[in-house]
Amino acid sequence: MNVIETAGLGRRYGSTWALRDCTLSIPAGHLVALVGPNGAGKSTLLNLVVGLTPPTVGEVTVLGGATAGSVAALDAIAFVAQDMPLYRHLSVADMLHLTGNLNLRFDAAYARRRLAELGIGNKQKAGKLSGGQQAQLALTLALARRPRLLVLDEPTAPLDPVARHDFMATVLTAMADDGVSVVLSSHLLAELERVTDYLVLISHGRVRVNDDVENLLACHRLVSAATPERLTGIAGEVIESNTMGSQTHQLIRLAAPDTALPPTCESRAVGLEELALAYLREGITLPTLSPAGASR
Amino acid sequence: MTALAAAPTPAIRAVPWSRLGWVVWRRYRTMLMATIGCLALIGVYLIVNGERMRAAYHATTSCRPVNAPSCAYAFQTFHDRYAQTGLIGAVLLFLPGIVGTFVGAPLLARELETGTFRYAWTQGAGRMRWAVALVVSGGLGVAVIMTAFGALITWHNQPLLDTGDVPRLHTTSFPETGTAAAGWALAGFALGVLAGLLWRRVVPAIVTAFAAWFGLAYLAATFLRQHYLAPLTTTSLDLPLKDVRISQWWSKGGVRVSTDHINTVLSAIGSQFSSDGGKVTVGVPGADVDPTQYLLQHGYTQITSYQPDGRYWTFQWIETGWLAALALLLLGAAFWLLRRRPA
Repeated sequence: MNVIETAGLGRRYGSTWALRDCTLSIPAGHLVALVGPNGAGKSTLLNLVVGLTPPTVGEVTVLGGATAGSVAALDAIAFVAQDMPLYRHLSVADMLHLTGNLNLRFDAAYARRRLAELGIGNKQKAGKLSGGQQAQLALTLALARRPRLLVLDEPTAPLDPVARHDFMATVLTAMADDGVSVVLSSHLLAELERVTDYLVLISHGRVRVNDDVENLLACHRLVSAATPERLTGIAGEVIESNTMGSQTHQLIRLAAPDTALPPTCESRAVGLEELALAYLREGITLPTLSPAGASR
Repeated sequence: MTALAAAPTPAIRAVPWSRLGWVVWRRYRTMLMATIGCLALIGVYLIVNGERMRAAYHATTSCRPVNAPSCAYAFQTFHDRYAQTGLIGAVLLFLPGIVGTFVGAPLLARELETGTFRYAWTQGAGRMRWAVALVVSGGLGVAVIMTAFGALITWHNQPLLDTGDVPRLHTTSFPETGTAAAGWALAGFALGVLAGLLWRRVVPAIVTAFAAWFGLAYLAATFLRQHYLAPLTTTSLDLPLKDVRISQWWSKGGVRVSTDHINTVLSAIGSQFSSDGGKVTVGVPGADVDPTQYLLQHGYTQITSYQPDGRYWTFQWIETGWLAALALLLLGAAFWLLRRRPA
């Protein structure tokens, strides 16, 4: 089952396309990192998935075919938006009651246990909690709904390193305990590298990467040679190319993991962050460093 | 779509209204208490002043003998003391608009302004149920509170009406009494909800909604209300003060005559009617002939069109009716926008 499936999805605000031609299928059971530069359309895509925004063109379905924003979709998806919107004047207990009454399912016992472990008192006002506690409260409220898909928009951006770690620990525990699928957007690549097992990369409003991390790492290699000519003829796509001193380095997406490389070049595996950075830089470097331009 | 039929849990029922009602209560009880507290202050004033006015009016009407100068003086004193309502009168006149827009505008605007709509609209209940619960609760609250207030203001004004020379249909006392108070409050509420959705910010939404409400109230008072039913006409020269005059003109042999014609006739005695509707006569100083009497003696008839006091409740229902319809229309537009509007 695919937790998110889009076909030709696009959203336009005024005359600007925030997202276009987005065709994706994300299988269940992963922690999906949605990565892209600011303004790439990450939040737009997530808003479309949770039904906050209707598409301008195309389709988006969730959890094996439910229309985004439908009753079935709303029931099964929990969303924690950017900056953790909470009713600041309500107490923690009120937020629990509120969420409990806005949903058919709500595991109040789980929520209370989690909050007690985190040392968040029931009587405290949501707005008076620290940033880390607010994030944990928002996450706890979302998880207590027992969703099948948890969508997090830049959840860790406003948090300090300790709070970030605790937040991600809660997410991973929920994945392990309940099998909830998670999609989270972020631009903190280094942190995601350790936890994510599926990468979706959006750049300039278009999907560039949509794959399992294991697969991605197997299919990408950084190859180096003394001249660019020695690197031509490899079955794959050059994502990034640059020349340092006498050596030319290219990050190549191979046609298959076992694609043969010329014996005259060196090659090594890349990390997820390195790989993602290459794609993120793509738009900027493509005009001058594309393989066609370099060989001419 | 075939994939939709394959959805794993197709028979999800909606979150019950009772639970949403609870949510609205929890979320807005503080505001409700504060509103009721403020209005209670005005209510207490109205009750105290109403009782005082009743006592004073009773003292005036029990003055004997009725024709004595002291009784006339007592009546005049009562009238002078209570007929001019001053600041509190102005507050009451605007109260339906203030209550309506202050409750309506923040309802959706605050969620949009603070970003909490991203929380509220992605819960299992969904945005439409959440909005319907909010708007219906808010609207009912406003209608109930202002119906009670309309009744209270009506009760408060009763001794003044009993004097027979204060018109109930007058612009400054009609809209905040009877059922129209609730109608005007609902119109303000609906304008507030819609403005909140369009502005997505509380303060501009309140300002816009109140300005729109005021414009509507002004138009209704100036152009609309007098046409709810065709005015009656009379040739009587002393129409009771409680009836509201619309206009006045002269006729001869059943035909309306122009002001110019009347002035030509009056030039014989050196008088003129002013041009604005022919209501005011301007006599030449020293002339001892009353122009009105002069015209009557020469076969002219003065005709006054007016709305009788007895039409008060008919007008109340007409006004409440169209205001309620307008409120529903505006709220319908707000829901239509809400469903389609991207977050």
